[in-house]
Amino acid sequence: MIHRALPAISAAATCVAGAVLVAALAVAPARAADPDKVLHLEFYVAETGFDPAKVQDYYSFVVIEGICDSLLTFDYLARPSKLVPRAAEALPTVSDQAKTYIFKIRKGIYFASDPAFKGRRRELTAEDFVYSIKRFKDPVNHAPYESFIDGIAGLEELKKAAEKTGKFDYDRKVEGLQALDRYTLRIRLKETDYTFPYVMALANFAAVAREVIEAYGEDSNAHPVGTGPYRLKEWVRSNKIILEANPDFRGFVWNFEPGTDPRDKEIVAAMEGKKMPQIGRVEISIIEEQQAAWLAFQNGELDILHLREQFAPVAIPGNQVNAQLAAAGVWLNRITDPDLNYTYFNTTDPDFGGFAKDKIALRRAIFMSFDNAEYIRVIRKGQSMEAQYPIPPGVVGYDPTYRTSIPYAPELANKLLDYFGYKRGADGYRNWPDGRALVWRFSSTPSSRDREIDELWQKSVERIGIRLQIDKNKFPEELKRERACQLLSRIASWYADYPDGDDFMQLLYGPNSHQNNNACFQLPEWDRIYEKTRALPPDSPERNQFYRQLWRMAEVHGVWKLHDTRYRNMLVQPQVIGYKKHPILLAEYMYYDLDNSRRRK
Amino acid sequence: MSAYIIRRIWQMIPTMLGVIVLVFVLFNWIGGDPAYVLAGKISSAEQIANIRRQLGVDQPFYVQLWIFIKQVLTADFGASWSTNEAVSHILATRLGPSLTLLVPWLILSTLISIGLALAVAYVRASLTDRMVMITCTVGLSISILVYIIVFQYVFAYKLGWFPVQGWGDSFWQNLVVYASLPIIILLVVSIAPDLRLFRTFVLDEVNQDYVRTARAKGVSENRIMWVHVLRNASIPIITHVMAQVPGLLIGAFLLERFFSIPGIGREVILAVERSDFPVIKAITVYVAAATMIFNLAADLMYKAVDPRVQLK
Repeated sequence: MIHRALPAISAAATCVAGAVLVAALAVAPARAADPDKVLHLEFYVAETGFDPAKVQDYYSFVVIEGICDSLLTFDYLARPSKLVPRAAEALPTVSDQAKTYIFKIRKGIYFASDPAFKGRRRELTAEDFVYSIKRFKDPVNHAPYESFIDGIAGLEELKKAAEKTGKFDYDRKVEGLQALDRYTLRIRLKETDYTFPYVMALANFAAVAREVIEAYGEDSNAHPVGTGPYRLKEWVRSNKIILEANPDFRGFVWNFEPGTDPRDKEIVAAMEGKKMPQIGRVEISIIEEQQAAWLAFQNGELDILHLREQFAPVAIPGNQVNAQLAAAGVWLNRITDPDLNYTYFNTTDPDFGGFAKDKIALRRAIFMSFDNAEYIRVIRKGQSMEAQYPIPPGVVGYDPTYRTSIPYAPELANKLLDYFGYKRGADGYRNWPDGRALVWRFSSTPSSRDREIDELWQKSVERIGIRLQIDKNKFPEELKRERACQLLSRIASWYADYPDGDDFMQLLYGPNSHQNNNACFQLPEWDRIYEKTRALPPDSPERNQFYRQLWRMAEVHGVWKLHDTRYRNMLVQPQVIGYKKHPILLAEYMYYDLDNSRRRK
Repeated sequence: MSAYIIRRIWQMIPTMLGVIVLVFVLFNWIGGDPAYVLAGKISSAEQIANIRRQLGVDQPFYVQLWIFIKQVLTADFGASWSTNEAVSHILATRLGPSLTLLVPWLILSTLISIGLALAVAYVRASLTDRMVMITCTVGLSISILVYIIVFQYVFAYKLGWFPVQGWGDSFWQNLVVYASLPIIILLVVSIAPDLRLFRTFVLDEVNQDYVRTARAKGVSENRIMWVHVLRNASIPIITHVMAQVPGLLIGAFLLERFFSIPGIGREVILAVERSDFPVIKAITVYVAAATMIFNLAADLMYKAVDPRVQLK
């Protein structure tokens, strides 16, 4: 599948990034971390494991990112997100119309000691990245992020050979993935792809050592061994994760440029020049119930709390911390998540699908009956912003000036339905023009939140005289039907894998039907323009113009109703120094500090 | 006796087969296809087919059922589909925390409920008896969720007598520090209905002729209640206690979630949320087996408590 396109990383950009690298990740003496600085965090969903190739959940990657080094990462303070090197010396050299990427690995990076190395000090090399990336094509791993490296030339052939022989040959040379020397990695893609550097910043594609994976076999999820600032000290599955500073870590000096956020200067003043990481131990508790997490935070048992929507009216009335928390020195770090929530119509449905004017009118009328303001007030407890554009704020390609052409307008929706012959029957509900009862089938899961959304949609379509039938399915079943283009409508969500608009626009690309184009939207003209955007540098005016055109076309055809983009509210105790939530980075704990003297007694 | 035990064990086989078929049908009917979740956000039909092949869910139903039966026979349920952790390791590590919570609670709850039942039965129809019964009725009308939220807020957060949540490394720390409040909540929730029930069992006995005869012979009231009445009332009490034990392993999931206790109940919820069939299968089968074993144990205890009981 094709799903990305992105930033032209020019030679100039490479130089700038190289400077950032030298400044921000300059080698510093190790063991800066203080074992008495113990950070307490919470996950509200249990992790699944720590093998980068085998897992897909957010929480597992919060841990993996702290343990393993990817080639690139994101600048801690820069917004919108900006790529910087991590295990690489600099951003990659790009050539051949963004089909060839060359990464230089920094010398002198070592894996944390582990029995698998048999007492040897093990340096990170380009071959480690070759091995780690190949693992995503090994059928045994059924890697959830496999599709992200589909573009690398020769990998698919390697997988096919493994399926035939039953054994994945890690030693076979692959044209598109080669270590040119001990520290040089060359990746060749089948097609132009400007977003590829973002993929190399994902924690999924961090380096693991072949000896470790082979030593622990199927239990690799429990033995993450990386070159990052932390190592796994203790793991009680689904209950407690303890990380401790990796004594073999090379260290770095904190040196990030402040952005436009006024708090950045305070962060820089507090952190600049510090040897990192400062925090010696990170204790993560899995607390599934928000009441328990909320009380634990107030008790001082947690240093940072991701505040859920239901407690927002109590904890942050008017989006400010309440007086009690403020008196205790607690402060709020609020960001916009790079996510999007929308209701879609399956455009291949025999009744509601197609691009005839009456079908488009019906879909648009249903969308116009829904009041996003009420949705945000009731469901989100005010903790989200209405989405006007499919690319959320903070993501390259976002257009703050765009206004949707599908507003909340039930009167207009009624007129539209009347005009196209959807007449009301004796019971007050509308029928199809041929006289059949018009029933809209909307799918949702049995969760309490989805029940609230069902009620909101029920109330909405009542305004325009349309019957609603709610189909309840478990989530896997919904996905199965959706991938088969057999699900008519549901509310879907998409969280950015990387901060580029292509990650969102590809959701409507025709060939991605039966994958993540859940509306099964296929319009040749749309696809043609989208394919042009893939060959354009990100944030170029031309690509942005094409995106506006694409989204307007999708709106005109009544494919999606955009709902909202969520806020993420992080409550932070006074002892946490230099904290700033990043929309894409997960293991921010390597960039901030603790001052134990500021803890509440 | 041994012939009876062997016969009962034989009878467990068809029951277990029924459980296996029921679990299998329910999971395949309403459980959903886990491959679609495991495949990740962006996955092709080919990748999904590969996962289904590796999980074995692409096999005909009868093959999958036979694999399930073999797993039960060998007690090897493989590994979790979502975490790759061996199911045997999941059960071994989660059982301890659940038992740390449930064993002390079961002992305390049974002893307190029996003691109180005998006491209120002794003063039956008095104001005390009525007040206790009213309190019990009110107590059991309130959901356990309310008890958890209120007790956690008041005793853990406001008064600071217990930690809000957590679980440690040592048994004694867990028992004394982390499990105390959940055990207290379980006691509050369970004593009210148990007391009402046990009181009824006791009252059924105190009006019997043998009690009147004992009193006529001058036996003390304490001995009548604690020896004669309790022995005869204990058979329904044993039935009640033994029947609820296996179910509680899973039933304590709310407490385990609110207090972050890594027990079996919480694991079951996680497994259901993740459509993790190997874990669901193993726990369901073991709980079914435990139910049958506890039923057998209850029958044997009848005989121990009352020699007049004939096991046939």
